[in-house]
Amino acid sequence: MTTGSLFKKLGTHVLLLALVFVNLVPLIIVLSSSLRSPKNMTNPLNWFNEFTLESFISAYTRMNFPVALWNSVVLTVISVIFVVLFAAMAAYPIARIRSKTSKFLYIFFLAGLVVPGQMVLIPIIQMIKGLGIPLGQYTPILMFITCSLPFSTFLYTGFIRSGVPEEIEEAAYIDGAGIFVRFWKMVFPLLLPVTVSVVITQGVWIWNDYFFNMVFITKSIDAPLPVAMLGFLGDQQNPAQWNVLFAACILCALPLLLMFLALQKYFVGGLTMGSVKG
Amino acid sequence: MKRFSRQSFVMLLIAMLLVLGACSSNSNSGTGSSNTGGSSNTGSSNSSDTSSDEKPVTLTMLVSGAKAAEGEDFELEIFPRLVKEKFPNVTLEVQKLPDEQYYTTVKTKLGAGEGPDIFLVFPKLANMGAIEVAKAGYAADLSDLSFWDRVSPAAKNDMSYEGKPYAVAKGMDILGTYYNKTLFEQAGITEIPQDWPSFLEAADKLKAAGITPIAMGDKDMWVIQFGMYQLAANSVYPTDPEFDTKLQTSETQLTDEKWIKTINQYKELYDKGYVVNGSLGMASAQAAQQFVDGKAAMIFTGTWDLPSLTATGAAEFERGFFSLPGNEPGQPVYASASTAAGYAINANSKNLDVAKEVFEYLFDAESPLFEAWVASNPSISVFNGVELQNDIFADVLGNIQETGNAFYFSNQMWPAGVSDAMQSKFAEIIGGRAVTAEDVAKAMQDKYTELYKQ
Amino acid sequence: MNSAVMKKTMYFFVLPALVFYCIFWIFPIFKLFQYSVTDYNGYVQSFNYVGLDNFKQLFQEEVLSISIKNTLIYTAITVILGNIIALMIAVLLNASISGKAFYRSAFYIPTLFSAIVVGFIWSYVYMPQEGLIASFLEKIGITTWDTNFLGSYSKSLYSIIVVDIWKNIGTSVIIFLAGLQTVPHELVEAGKIDGAGKWKLFRFITLPMLATSVTINITLSVINGLKAFDFPFIMTNGGPGISTNTLIFAMYKMAFTDQLFGKAAALGIISFAIIIVITILCVFTLNKKEVSA
Repeated sequence: MTTGSLFKKLGTHVLLLALVFVNLVPLIIVLSSSLRSPKNMTNPLNWFNEFTLESFISAYTRMNFPVALWNSVVLTVISVIFVVLFAAMAAYPIARIRSKTSKFLYIFFLAGLVVPGQMVLIPIIQMIKGLGIPLGQYTPILMFITCSLPFSTFLYTGFIRSGVPEEIEEAAYIDGAGIFVRFWKMVFPLLLPVTVSVVITQGVWIWNDYFFNMVFITKSIDAPLPVAMLGFLGDQQNPAQWNVLFAACILCALPLLLMFLALQKYFVGGLTMGSVKG
Repeated sequence: MKRFSRQSFVMLLIAMLLVLGACSSNSNSGTGSSNTGGSSNTGSSNSSDTSSDEKPVTLTMLVSGAKAAEGEDFELEIFPRLVKEKFPNVTLEVQKLPDEQYYTTVKTKLGAGEGPDIFLVFPKLANMGAIEVAKAGYAADLSDLSFWDRVSPAAKNDMSYEGKPYAVAKGMDILGTYYNKTLFEQAGITEIPQDWPSFLEAADKLKAAGITPIAMGDKDMWVIQFGMYQLAANSVYPTDPEFDTKLQTSETQLTDEKWIKTINQYKELYDKGYVVNGSLGMASAQAAQQFVDGKAAMIFTGTWDLPSLTATGAAEFERGFFSLPGNEPGQPVYASASTAAGYAINANSKNLDVAKEVFEYLFDAESPLFEAWVASNPSISVFNGVELQNDIFADVLGNIQETGNAFYFSNQMWPAGVSDAMQSKFAEIIGGRAVTAEDVAKAMQDKYTELYKQ
Repeated sequence: MNSAVMKKTMYFFVLPALVFYCIFWIFPIFKLFQYSVTDYNGYVQSFNYVGLDNFKQLFQEEVLSISIKNTLIYTAITVILGNIIALMIAVLLNASISGKAFYRSAFYIPTLFSAIVVGFIWSYVYMPQEGLIASFLEKIGITTWDTNFLGSYSKSLYSIIVVDIWKNIGTSVIIFLAGLQTVPHELVEAGKIDGAGKWKLFRFITLPMLATSVTINITLSVINGLKAFDFPFIMTNGGPGISTNTLIFAMYKMAFTDQLFGKAAALGIISFAIIIVITILCVFTLNKKEVSA
């Protein structure tokens, strides 16, 4: 280990730290401002000149944090469970059967990726009302599932094709196992890495979605976290309200941040799954 | 996630469905709205002085505006509290959004059939205007409410469609110029300007004294209307009060020289640098902050903004209010005044009767809710017997009442979208692009032709 | 095992997903085609068929060309700049140093925030005179720079592009890092022994091995860029004027503010066509490159 390469290492660290700093400086200021009392209007660049939780308390009550958090959890968990089930099930025949139909289905699902949700909003609303489905707290789940299907099916199909050898099923088939058993007991457990990937990638965007929630949810007790943030929309332009606004931002991001810190390994694994195997 | 047996999977599915079912039926019965045909509403009593049936009811309300800078906000805090006191089983949930988001949000929700029970409606043809929401069937017919005989006919008409009222106006709003009396003194301005050249002179004096003459939050483009309509009230309508009716029959166009003159007058303020630099990046809340902090001497907005402009800021000073004099010397100053926005009830509300009772309470002259509303309402009341609450408007209002020299806000007689075209094109002028007043007028007329098909 | 009966039963598995997908995604898209030739305004339930009027109107107005231009710029910069920066960071991280996990997390954090929160934070960063950048410049004594970012016709689009890149760097870094780590060390060593310089090493050994992750990453970023909506909506409302209108944002505004749903549907169809064409072009080009690499 020469001094040359030591310098190089040090240099790399310095460079990286500088990059991280520049990247995160807005967040640092947000943190420091959120720790001030709501009336403190001194220059935000004077970091951490106060330590109080007043703004957090104000934001917490205004957002109705516990309720919003629970709503986010419910919406995300239910949506993700259905996405995993439907996508894995759909991928099974597409991956296993080599026929024109399966190829068509593959492209069919994948093509859904290019369509933005905002585009089909009104027809979707009409569809929902036409089917007699009540609009309310759980309606966004329908959209979350639908929008997640293209990418999730893509991931599952790729993985089943390359990662789950048919021999396993052959063995079960010979043992007389029916198709459901073969899928659920043999194939699905092996899909764990992809499932993690789907849960992470889709879970994060579903948790953070504000658009569908904003459209379908009216009562504030039903609102998940991002919608609760919408109540602060007017404050983003008013310097007098920043401290509370920033406290709210941090509260909103906190659950996901904590989950990430605890489950880093899975996050990274889940993200790379799609691309490396793809 | 080990071996997922089929049984456990099926049980999980069933469990989830049960939970889903239980949850949705809970939230339905808990808030009084039901999916089985509104049976809970048919039993409610219609008498207006006893509280409605005992089932807990949640009313949702969506309005636009800014949260009160100080003290309690009437709509967000006082209104729900007093409603709860009078009707213990009724919870009023209010959401206040900035103007632009208000329009998109309320329209999206109404279009989705999930609109709020009470929402804000504007007069006549304006965006989210009474005519539009009545036609679309979004707003409920309010003819059967009892207090209309105490409301000024003009205000009632501006909120009516085919003779029936669909919203209760908050009052009359006047667009004007708030100014900082101290800064005016500092710059040596001794009288309120009464014509256009005097106004430009006053702005010059401010600039010479190192004071920013005007602050505007042009990032919120609708504020461009605030200065523009005050000028239009002087440069367009006095010589042609039926201008907008003529537009409908194509007898005249928005490219008429009167509008060119108006737009050029407003443009002059920017060309001469009287408006704060970077106004396009400043939202209205920030511009208001500049005003209360004493960093700018004037701001164009209406009576509704009184709370945010009289909030405590870094500087202490007395505020005044005058009409922007776009007139020639020797001509009278015309004010820009119109019926204000008002509250409407969602025609498809599951709690229509309860909402109507709340309205009766709100507009009942004897109720504490009415008093609280009048006290906090910056708009000038259109209810009989209510005195002017804010002296700052006394001069302009007195002038209007004596001389009748006032005209409405133009956008109330244009199809929604024309004023947006004006704002959009004019913003390019503010942004320093090579756009002329003729370009703006043309954009307005093009949009008008496109939208006015009825 | 793949008998006909077997296949039929297997296809049942597709049903739930297919049903959802068709009802809530495919059918509404067809409805969109229908509405694009009407004057439906989004709430009054009766409408008339107006043929190609909506399309003609759109082609005459500047909203269409400006939105297309903005969307293309937005996509090009987020994809190219975003991926280059992410790749550079990944390369730095890939050097044998400690604390990879820390840096990786540090860059990933912005991605965990909801677009709303990111929009709020950056509105503060960009606010003229009181925001982060303005305060910073003041502190170091620079007072002449124009700090009007979101209100400037020339700067606003690029300002929100920066926000998009900022939010998504973390994911790209993680993906590239993982890809880099699959590059067999021996190959790189062999290259070094052969006397190849850093750049040659990267260009001919590392990059080709990253081909798959690059392709997927780029395709997804392109699609997301073309669908850009969040930041114009949260931060600038498409303004000033229409200078930050993207295709999807313009369509949303047309439907909900202007109440012209027929016209908005027409714009949606045009956007749809553009997105598909560009995505296909993208996929083909990248596939070719992948094969040749």
